[in-house]
Amino acid sequence: MTSELSILALYGLLVILTIVVQASFGAAQLGLPYLATARDEGRELSGMGARVERSLNNSVVALALFAPAVLILAVTGATTASTLLAAQIFLIARILYAPIYWFGIPWLRTLVWAAGFLATIYLYLAAL
Amino acid sequence: MSTEITVLTYAALLQVVQFALMSITANLDVGPGKTMSPRDPSRLGKPVQELLSEKPGRLFRAFNNHFEGLILFTIAVVVVTLGEQSTGFTAICAWVYLGARILYVPAYYYGLAPGRSIIWFVGFLATLFMLLAALV
Repeated sequence: MTSELSILALYGLLVILTIVVQASFGAAQLGLPYLATARDEGRELSGMGARVERSLNNSVVALALFAPAVLILAVTGATTASTLLAAQIFLIARILYAPIYWFGIPWLRTLVWAAGFLATIYLYLAAL
Repeated sequence: MSTEITVLTYAALLQVVQFALMSITANLDVGPGKTMSPRDPSRLGKPVQELLSEKPGRLFRAFNNHFEGLILFTIAVVVVTLGEQSTGFTAICAWVYLGARILYVPAYYYGLAPGRSIIWFVGFLATLFMLLAALV
């Protein structure tokens, strides 16, 4: 397995962890019995729970962009030391992104998001 | 084609079916006048998905939830396949994922509680195990 693929697997686990955190906030704020229903009432998370939900949505978008880039690099064998570094930067940025969002730190969140975003763009450029 | 890739194809087709179910019921529910508009909440009063009545609303949420499940499952299949970590175990995980996601739709539609959550969790665990298997 190329290292970029390992990073993709690790990032998948990070998103899974975020889902677990979101579900925990859901259980705490809305109650497990409500979560188990079909959620017809449309109850919404608030405060930190809502931030976790927004960070999760953002992480899924980032995943949808990061995964194809890694797939292209792995299939075409275009991985280099630079693409590995970019993938590592992406993973570190996304790990930092989660708590920075949950604790509501402005600007830094945007900065960290941009680092992951730019790293993803780099992967596509490297693949071409 | 590896088992995992085949199952991934079925999972994507399931999402196409879920889209069709959601789209047809939603159009019958609120009418194409609203669904084909730019869906501005300012004109509709609220976001279009919140205008849906109970059953179409459930199909919408089931469809939305599968996007999240599907992207994680796609990654799991990609890393397992390209990493050449495919085993009988990961193949079973893939089938379990697909089975759970198929059952998830009627479970949501009929408001099965806590059945829907349990079914969701089975698919979630299958994905998690595949990702872990890829790293081992």
